[in-house]
Amino acid sequence: MEALKNTILEKTNKSLGVNAEDARLTLTYLSLAFIVLFIGGALGLLQGLNRAGLLELPVWLNYYQILTAHGVLLVLVFTTLFMIGYFYASLSHTLGGLLPKVRKMGWVAFGLLVTGVVFVVTTIIMGEASVMYTFYPPMQASPWFYIGLVFLVAGLWVSGIGVFINAASWKKRNRGKHLPLLSYFAVGAFVLTLLGSLGVTAEVLMLIPWAFGWTETINVMLSRTLFWSFGHTIVNVWYLVAVSAWYVTVPKIIGGRLFSDTLARLVVILSVVLNVPGGFHHQIIDPGFTQGLKFMHVFMSLSIALPSLMTAFFMFAVFERAGRKKGAKGLLGWFKKLPWNDVRFLAPMIAMIAFIPAGAGGIAQTNNQLNQVVHNSLWVVGHFHLTLGTTVVLTFFGVMYWLIPYLTKREMTTKINRLGIIQTIVWAVGMLFMSGAMHWVGVLGSPRRTSYTTYGDNATALGWDPYLFFLAIGGSLLFLGVILMVYIVFNLMFFAPKGNTAFPIAEPEDNASVTPRWTERWGLWVIVAIAVISMGYVIPLVDLILNAPPGSPPFKTW
Amino acid sequence: MKQAAYGLVLYIFLMLPPVTALAESIMAIHMHMQMPLFVIAGMLMTPFFQKKFPNLFSKWNSNGIPGIILFMIIVLYWMLPRTMDEALTIPAVEIFKFVSLPFLAGVPLRDSWKKLETRVKNIIYISLSAIFGFMAWLYIASPNQLCNNYLIVEQKTLGWGFVFLAACIFIYFIQTLFIDETEYE
Ligand code: HEM
Ligand SMILES: [Cu+2]
Repeated sequence: MEALKNTILEKTNKSLGVNAEDARLTLTYLSLAFIVLFIGGALGLLQGLNRAGLLELPVWLNYYQILTAHGVLLVLVFTTLFMIGYFYASLSHTLGGLLPKVRKMGWVAFGLLVTGVVFVVTTIIMGEASVMYTFYPPMQASPWFYIGLVFLVAGLWVSGIGVFINAASWKKRNRGKHLPLLSYFAVGAFVLTLLGSLGVTAEVLMLIPWAFGWTETINVMLSRTLFWSFGHTIVNVWYLVAVSAWYVTVPKIIGGRLFSDTLARLVVILSVVLNVPGGFHHQIIDPGFTQGLKFMHVFMSLSIALPSLMTAFFMFAVFERAGRKKGAKGLLGWFKKLPWNDVRFLAPMIAMIAFIPAGAGGIAQTNNQLNQVVHNSLWVVGHFHLTLGTTVVLTFFGVMYWLIPYLTKREMTTKINRLGIIQTIVWAVGMLFMSGAMHWVGVLGSPRRTSYTTYGDNATALGWDPYLFFLAIGGSLLFLGVILMVYIVFNLMFFAPKGNTAFPIAEPEDNASVTPRWTERWGLWVIVAIAVISMGYVIPLVDLILNAPPGSPPFKTW
Repeated sequence: MKQAAYGLVLYIFLMLPPVTALAESIMAIHMHMQMPLFVIAGMLMTPFFQKKFPNLFSKWNSNGIPGIILFMIIVLYWMLPRTMDEALTIPAVEIFKFVSLPFLAGVPLRDSWKKLETRVKNIIYISLSAIFGFMAWLYIASPNQLCNNYLIVEQKTLGWGFVFLAACIFIYFIQTLFIDETEYE
């Protein structure tokens, strides 16, 4: 009876469209996300102009305050808000509506996140937390900054548990069925988030008493290691969110089918199981780890490239099949048959193309010797503006063109489509300039996280100026892109004509093989992930704790 | 059969001299990475042996009990500090390690597991986590160096590795009690 009621509920949900209360939750998340993007982007522009020597920042809002806010707002807050909003809408659509309890958890998580952001931003503006988004000790921020971080993590936890509850309840009601693929991605992404947040939670709980002055010293290396177990993982979570849209929605948009349900689920499992120990590739130059250990972590880190390569294979196979179905001939004829003038395809497609150089750069810099050349230079900033600032963010933008009209029961107009194409091109060109310049000038030695200086007119430093000028041009284009995108999002939300927009979910091929049952064994995968994490972390952590030097007192370098 | 080929590749890779040298240079990697990988290589190769010698398995391991006992004996043997030392200093023992872990632990484990009753599986989970817990205590608490080849701090590291392994197995076991897989299928 219960089951029958629920299938009816799901059917009505699919034909009538989204549940109004679920839509309100997601729209709230997305509105705040794009407001945050606007602020973060404006700060980015200020940084770009400063670095080119075109703009001097006032003392009361200096470069490092802005940089901290830019990093936290964009890499942590914008992405988190987007992920929760997008996945809650996905659950609502594919599982027949959110459970009332889970919807409430979504609102609680929102409250926690907003509280956290208020704490963090206030302390940054007051000039008491210019510690960058990595908040490495022994630099010490106000304790309220760290307390804000606790709220942010708590928000992630509450929203994640909500996802698990909704998925488990669906599974109970639908015995023998596989969780729909998009919800499966949501579960995987939140499992990875929770696993990744364990280390940083421990770190922040050590930093808070230190920041209040209750403990005198802090173990610097331990903190950095715990931070990167999170920092690395969370970026891969954002990537997984983007990948979910590539697998599930993009094939539908181009009139193709799902390539392989099993392969997609395998990618999720591999991402969850292998990811967390990858954090060490951010510490290749750190002292305190033996050479042999660092060498072994190169493999750990490269193994994460495996699911990415599988994804690339999968996507190109889908494109080729879709193109051939439309009558494409020859080796590359399918390429022309793709709907290039549809922004819902163009944006994620450019996102995927950007991942080719981005992934190659990542594989390069995870090698010890190559890392020494680019470590802490602007190269690294160029790298993650490609991976995160382009691959992930452009995919998020691409989702907006159908998700918002779907939620508000409106339709995207051809005008907005055209504007979206312009936005995508502006973003791509802006990033080409900014990230390209950052990569190049980084190899020439220009450091990251350093406001404009010529080092007393040193010749080498002066030689960076032309590249930094290109960086500023790219940054200005990007800010134009931000303005366009924010305009598009709010236009779609409030002014687009009423109508019906579908939530694009690709169907499997007619002759698709059945998905094996082992993909649903989350109990096993979580345990395997914990085992892999302990294999990666036990050795260095025990060493860092047992052989620790005396801890460090706090420093305020700004 | 593809699996068996992967298993063989992994097996050979693990025995390459630079790989063994690196893996054995760190105590925790020696015991918690190299040795389990040998077992996994054996598990991957199992289908090959099952196809080649079907009678052997049905005759000697019909209910899975002999296989799992053999597995436990081999695993216990390699958990002793002394055997690790000998593997490093006596070539014959090193070769025994290369043979015993895949073929006398990995193969019987995979052949037995499907045949075992739930009750026996539960006993295995509990005893493995208990043994690992004991090893954790031994390696963390021992004031003496237990292996000639490894320092005390490495020993403690290994002990903490055992804490996590014991916890993993135990949590998995608890999870099987509470989450009935068939309920979700
Ligand atoms: C208008 C667009 C953007 C511009 C102009 C911009 C520009 C910059 C610049 C100039 C830096 C500082 C380089 C340094 O001194 O080290 C920076 C850092 C950074 N950006 Fe952006 N960016 C933009 C968008 C984004 C986006 C969309 C993201 C991520 C979603 C992002 C994430 C970051 C992060 C994480 C840092 C590092 C902060 C740190 O080193 O602590 N940025 N950005
Ligand atoms: Cu990383």
